[in-house]
Parts: sequence; structure tokens; C-alpha cells
Amino acid sequence: MARRLLFAVPLALPVAFATAFAQTADPGKAVTAVRADYALTNVRIVTAPGKVIERGTVLTRDGRIAAVGATVQIPAGVTQMDLSGHTVYAGLIDAATSIGLPSPSRPLPAMTAAGAAPAAGRGGGGGGGRGVPLGRGSAPPPPVVLPEVEADAEAADMFAPTDDQLKAFRAGGVTTVGLVFDGGLFPGRVGSALTGTRGGSPLALRAASGQVVAFGTKRGGAYPGTGIGAVAFIRQAFLDAQYEARLDKAFKAGTPGARPSNDPFSRALVPAATSEMSSWFVASTERQIVRVAEIAKELGLKTPVVVGSQEGWRVIANLKSTGATAVVSLQWPSPDSITGRAFLAVGSGKSGTAPATTAADTAEVRANAAALTKAGVPVAFASYGGESGNTFRDRIRLTIAAGMSPDDALRAATVTPAAVLGISAAVGTIEVGKLANFVIVTGNDLFAATNPIKHVFIEGRIY
Amino acid sequence: MDSHMRILNVGMLGRAARACVVVAAISTPAVLVAQDLAIRNATLITITGGDIQNGTILVRNGKITAVGANVNIPAGVRTIDGTGKFVMPGIIDAHSHAALEGGINEGAESVTPEVQVQLKGDDPVVYRALAGGVTAALLLHGSANTIGGQSRVIKMRWGQSADSMYFKGAFRIVKFALGENVTRANSTAPADERRFPMTRMGVEFTVRYWFQKAKEYDQEWKEYRDAVKTNPNAIMPRRDLRLEALTDILHGDLKVHSHSYRGDEILMLIRVADENGFKVNTFQHVLEGYKVADEIARHGAMASTFADMWGYKVEAFDAIPYNMALMSQRGVVVSVNSDSDERIRRLYQEAGIGVRYGNMSVNEALKMVTLNPAKQLGVDKMVGSLENGKDGDIAVFSAHPFAPDAMVEYTVVDGKVLFDRSQANTLRKVAAEKGPGGTK
Repeated sequence: MARRLLFAVPLALPVAFATAFAQTADPGKAVTAVRADYALTNVRIVTAPGKVIERGTVLTRDGRIAAVGATVQIPAGVTQMDLSGHTVYAGLIDAATSIGLPSPSRPLPAMTAAGAAPAAGRGGGGGGGRGVPLGRGSAPPPPVVLPEVEADAEAADMFAPTDDQLKAFRAGGVTTVGLVFDGGLFPGRVGSALTGTRGGSPLALRAASGQVVAFGTKRGGAYPGTGIGAVAFIRQAFLDAQYEARLDKAFKAGTPGARPSNDPFSRALVPAATSEMSSWFVASTERQIVRVAEIAKELGLKTPVVVGSQEGWRVIANLKSTGATAVVSLQWPSPDSITGRAFLAVGSGKSGTAPATTAADTAEVRANAAALTKAGVPVAFASYGGESGNTFRDRIRLTIAAGMSPDDALRAATVTPAAVLGISAAVGTIEVGKLANFVIVTGNDLFAATNPIKHVFIEGRIY
Repeated sequence: MDSHMRILNVGMLGRAARACVVVAAISTPAVLVAQDLAIRNATLITITGGDIQNGTILVRNGKITAVGANVNIPAGVRTIDGTGKFVMPGIIDAHSHAALEGGINEGAESVTPEVQVQLKGDDPVVYRALAGGVTAALLLHGSANTIGGQSRVIKMRWGQSADSMYFKGAFRIVKFALGENVTRANSTAPADERRFPMTRMGVEFTVRYWFQKAKEYDQEWKEYRDAVKTNPNAIMPRRDLRLEALTDILHGDLKVHSHSYRGDEILMLIRVADENGFKVNTFQHVLEGYKVADEIARHGAMASTFADMWGYKVEAFDAIPYNMALMSQRGVVVSVNSDSDERIRRLYQEAGIGVRYGNMSVNEALKMVTLNPAKQLGVDKMVGSLENGKDGDIAVFSAHPFAPDAMVEYTVVDGKVLFDRSQANTLRKVAAEKGPGGTK
């Protein structure tokens, strides 16, 4: 019966849909998504890492999961899909990407042409003011906000990917992305979005999930212009926001003398500085991660998130001591470039052999996520630093090959990113009430190279 | 030299070394050994206790436990036969830009003492420094700022993480700079793109202005600390990392090392420091120090200079190679530094120049790369001479360090042999193995 229905439905629908429905083995293919209510039947269901219904039904309604179980009553008017021989997983979540986001180093509008001092405006100060004690009688600076320090910019509002970029994510099994700016100092806030093609529902899922902090610089010779300056600038910015929060509290309590500065930059950082919001530090090398741990400890920042974490396994103690979540980039560094390599290259006491990168070197770099997980550091996978989401699933497969358990890997691609992005109520597992975001593969293993992605569902739409 | 113009050049040695890598596992340094060591039957140049012929030095758990002619070496301690060799304290470089990352100059503003240099632990320069007998160094940033950032004193613990290289117990040091680099006198940028101060007058004003602000800041916090005793609602002032660092200077917790060249600017900073109640710990470069040595000594400042660098910019034209000797004679504690990833390998030769120009004694000359820089970095209780209780930081030379053909054979840090020429990937060795052109 189900099979007849499955074939019957497309006949009544436009050609585009029929094509998509018959041949969606390539989820990256251009299709027009159509939202209907579905019953995915006779399918193996991995509702969460380690939780499997060997043969059952997932029912969707209005883009959400209406029922999951071995036996589910299928209402009339629902499109049934017999998925014998397939497995359905919660759609994967890429915890951090800057694809589709504007660069924090993008050009400024007209202001720069007018010769405005880019150091001025919000976030202009580093310490006690500029190095110039007395100006040359210049006019007050125009209210330019450098994107590098536009701390209240919302990535969720600014996410504008191309259709091709979204398709690439879906081809990698990714239905939700964490949005993290690439560069700057305080370039804005983390958000999340769906990877379904626009058309009706907005992509953005949630804003203000975290405050992005990067060890970048300001443009045009403004302070800070170096990585060393960035550390001091970031510490001072957090201190100022904490001071602003104290003043605000004292002001509201009627304490004499208390008067908040109302500086927009400091105010924007108050939630992060008081740990109401997690700070997402972009840090990959050993030294960068140690620095994040030092800053978090000094400023009392709880639950920091370390985006990149490429050398995380070298500094596990630092990550653990700060309660950090590691958003691990699956863009592995070249083994030759990682910290500690030069020790061996120069001081090994051996010579005469070609500088080959061995399989063991590659494995060690790729085993980062496995080592962090084993040590108890929460891990969320990300394509951060990559140019496309389409290798997401393949890279997870290689991470598993490097020693991570498939369940841990699935957790790092679903549950943990959902938690750290603050979107667990909507995504991350197959549970009633959550969004109908699925990735469906032929066979019983999402991460087997031989198992193609059959369909991707996003908010109940099939791709 | 002009550290702001410094080019980090890993260069030939780095490439040669990379070309002969053998790696078992990335995270395991190959150089860790036990911290017990004896060197026997060598000439010991103790610096503080004269030279000892046919002497033995014993290091246990990283500390020197015996130095003398008659020392029993416990069974099982690794022993180096020092016959014909010369053993001296590990060399200390009081001015280096090696192993830094994240930028050498935060030059966007002229006053940035809140900034701190960042260490890149596995810079091959560290290993090259070991090859020249260097075991500790002061890492400063460049000289673009009137009141620059905070430096770091490190030990050359090659093979360990960046964080474990910090020299515990050393001074906290901040870099000041005067003269042409700060005013950007040699900058090709048009004047309106340059930054205040652009003149020596402006430099002096900048120092005065910021210490005045620092004193006000200090007072604000003092008033708060007094007020909060009786008024729990007293509002804690804003923490300003920049002014906080300046108050640390006023309180003596952060030591000033000031880049300087000319006698007049040295006198200027001494005057401003005296007026504002802080001390200049060490004048760096200080090429005209011989003109104002008495004033430097009277202020209590020390001096770290070049042996014979001269004439590379206008303010360096009055440099003379007698500078080290003349300042020493007037009671200034003098060190000779590298300021260079190249000279850091042969600082002992630089010290020898003091013997030729100015008739310094050999021991006084060697002090300029051992005990004297140790004093300037606040580590003279731990290193700088071969004495019981000090750290096992040692350089073993094939001949007297001032002999033209002397080479470092072993460099020891905390009792660990971190450089051993017989095992090292020297260019000579690589060339021998690779054959002509290195193509084998």
C-alpha cells in the first residue's frame, strides 16, 4: 500500500518535485523544496546517539516531528515513504561556520573615504584612551562602528548564503549551522540557521547564542594592530563590560555616585562578561587555547567555547579547567605546522631522512576530537575555516577512523552542537516536537563511505 | 639594531633542519633527560669564584651541588669528560626578539604597557641560541612605543611547551623607548599619517603625561580602598590595564628597560623618572652611555649594550666600542646583548670585544653575558655564575670562550643537556650526509 501511495503522489505534483522525489540520492541537486506532512515508514531510526528503533515510523506535521516509534498511527493525507533498508538520523549540525556571513574586515561605507579616524566610535578605547594625549583640535569623530568590534551584530540576521552554499551543506548531511564570524575582535554574536533553501520560512533559528571573540586586529593602524595588542584589548573590553554591569546594578539600587557609562560597546558585552552568554573564542593553536583559558580564568568567564581547537589535545588540562566546550574544526592543520613539530625537526638528533609526513602524523592530528572526548571535554564538530560544508560527513568518517566512536561522533554532530548553540529544544535528536530535520542514508551507518545520503529533511521539507 | 625593522628569517639552518626530520610522534620532544649531570676535569669559569683548573661541577635535580677541584661524582650520574674543555655559566641575553608571536610591535598607540609579548615555544631560534651556549633571555617587543609592552624572561627549555619556558622568579619587565624609533624619524610615511609623538619633546611629554595619569589612577584606587572600609556601597573604580601597569612601575613591581641611544635622551628619562618616583632598571642599547655613565650609575640603572654596532642611523653615530668598558669603569652594571637571532649564537665573542677595546679583564668581560644580565633580569640569585645552589645552566666550550676557534659542545639547562654538538643537526653534519648540493 505504502509503495502505491509513494508513487501516486508525484503524479499530482509539478515536474520539479517529481524529479526530486524520484532521484534525491543527490541532495545537493537543485530542487524546489516542498513541505508536506510525511510518514517515513519501515525505516531504522537513530533517535539519538546510541538509541535505535530498528524498524519504525517517523511522522511529521507542519515541519515538526509528530510521532516516532515502532508502531505509529498514520493519519490520512500524509505522504508515506517506505524507507526499508534505510536509516534516519537527526540532521547534522555544523557547530560553526562563517560561510554566508560578511567578513569583519569588509570595507566600511563612505566614512573611510571621508577620512574619518577608524579608531573612533564604539570599542575605540584599549586602556586609558589613545596614545595621543592631546589632539590637534579635531572635530568629534563620526559614529562609525567598525565591524571588528560591532559586538551586538547578530550573525543570525546577517546570514546570507547562496543556494549553492546551502546545497553543499545539505550534501554534507548538515541541516543546521552555527554561525560564527571569522576574524575581528568582537565581531558580533553567534547564531544558528537552517540550511534549507529560502522560500517561506526564514533560515535563522536563533540569535544571541554566544559572543564571538577573536584575536584579530583593527584596520587602518588603529589599536590593537597586532595579536599581542588584541589580548590586552579583549581583557580590557571584558573588564569594562563587567564595570558597566556593576555600575548598572548600583545605579538601579540607588547607590550614590553610580552612573553607567552607557557606552554601546561595553553594554553589548555585558551578557558575555557576566557569563549570561557564553564567549566563543576563535582559537586553534596550543598557545591560543592556553591564552583563552587564562583570559577565562582571569575574568571569571564560565563555559567558554573554543572555536577551532585544532591543537586541543595538546592542552586538555587547560580546556578542562575552564569548563570549555571544544568546537572542533574538521579542517585539520597540516601536521608539519602544528606546535611541537619544530622541536623534533631541529632537535631530534637524527638526520638524513626525507621530511615525510607519516600516516601516524596525520592520524594524531585527526585524533584530536577523539582525545578530547576521551578526556571528558565536550566536543562539537564544525567546518569552521573550510570553504564548503559538503565534506562534513566525510570528515567525520575520517575522525571515526582516527579513533572516535561512532556514537561519540554522532553526538558531536548533533546533541552537543545543539546544546552549545542553545537550540536543543528544536534540533539534535529525533523527538516529538522538534523540527523535522533528518538525514537519511541507505544502509545502517550514516558514516560509512558506501552509504549515500538518500534524503535530507529540513523543517519537514524534503531535499 | 632597529628591532622594529627586524625580519624573522628562519633561513638556511631552519630549512636544512626541516629537510632531515625523523619523527616518531609529534607530541613527544626528543630532548628530555634526567636532571643529574657531572662534568669533570674541565676548566671551570665560575665568574664569582675565579677559574678552577681540572675541576668538576655536579648538578643534582637541576641545581648545582658542587663546584671544585675535588668533587665526588655519585654512581650513576651521567658524566661528561671535560678534559681540555671550558665550562661557564649559561649565557644570558638581555635583549632578544626570538620566539615571539602575535607581532613584535603594537605600535598603533605610543603607550601600551598593558600589552604583553607572546611566546612561540618552538621557534628554532631557541635551539640555535642553545648552540651558542645561551640558556636564558629577555624577550622584548620592538621599539615603536614610548611606553611599550611587557617583556618575558625565558629559559631556553627547548622541547617544552611555551608556558614552561617562563623563568619563574624573574623581574616583570616593561619596555620603554626613546628617540628615532618612537618618533618614527626614519619612517617613510607622510607626517600626517604618523602618530604622536613625532619629536623628542613629544616623547618626554608623553612619559610625563602618562605617569601623571597613573598617579591620579593610583590615588583613585587608594581612596576607594579607604572608603570601602566604612562604606560597603563605595563603587569600585574602573580597572584600566594600561594605568594599572604604570602604577606597577611606580610601585617598583614592573621594571623599566628603556631602549635608548643618545646621552641627552638618557638624561631626560632619568630626570623624568626621578621626578615621578620610579626607577629605570636598565638602559638598553645605550650607545652614548659612556657620555653619561656617572648619571646612569647615580640613578641606579644598569646598561645593556652592543659591542660594536655603529652608525646604522643618525642617533647611532657616536657609538664607540669602548662603551662597555667605560660604563663598567664608572660603576654601571653592563651586559652585552644580541638583539638578533644571529648574534644570539655568539654572544661570548661579543663579550670578548670588551677585552680588546677598553682592557676589561676576561672575567669582567664574561660577566657581561652571565652575571650582569642576570642582575638586569632579576635572576642573579638563580643563574649567572657557577655556585652551589644555583640552577644547573651551563655551557661547555671546546676551548676558552674567547679563543677564536671555541665552539659550544654542550648546553645544559636545569641539568638537562639540551644541546649536544655531537648529536646536533649542524649544517656541517647535514652537508656531510647529503653530499654536495644536499640532493642525496
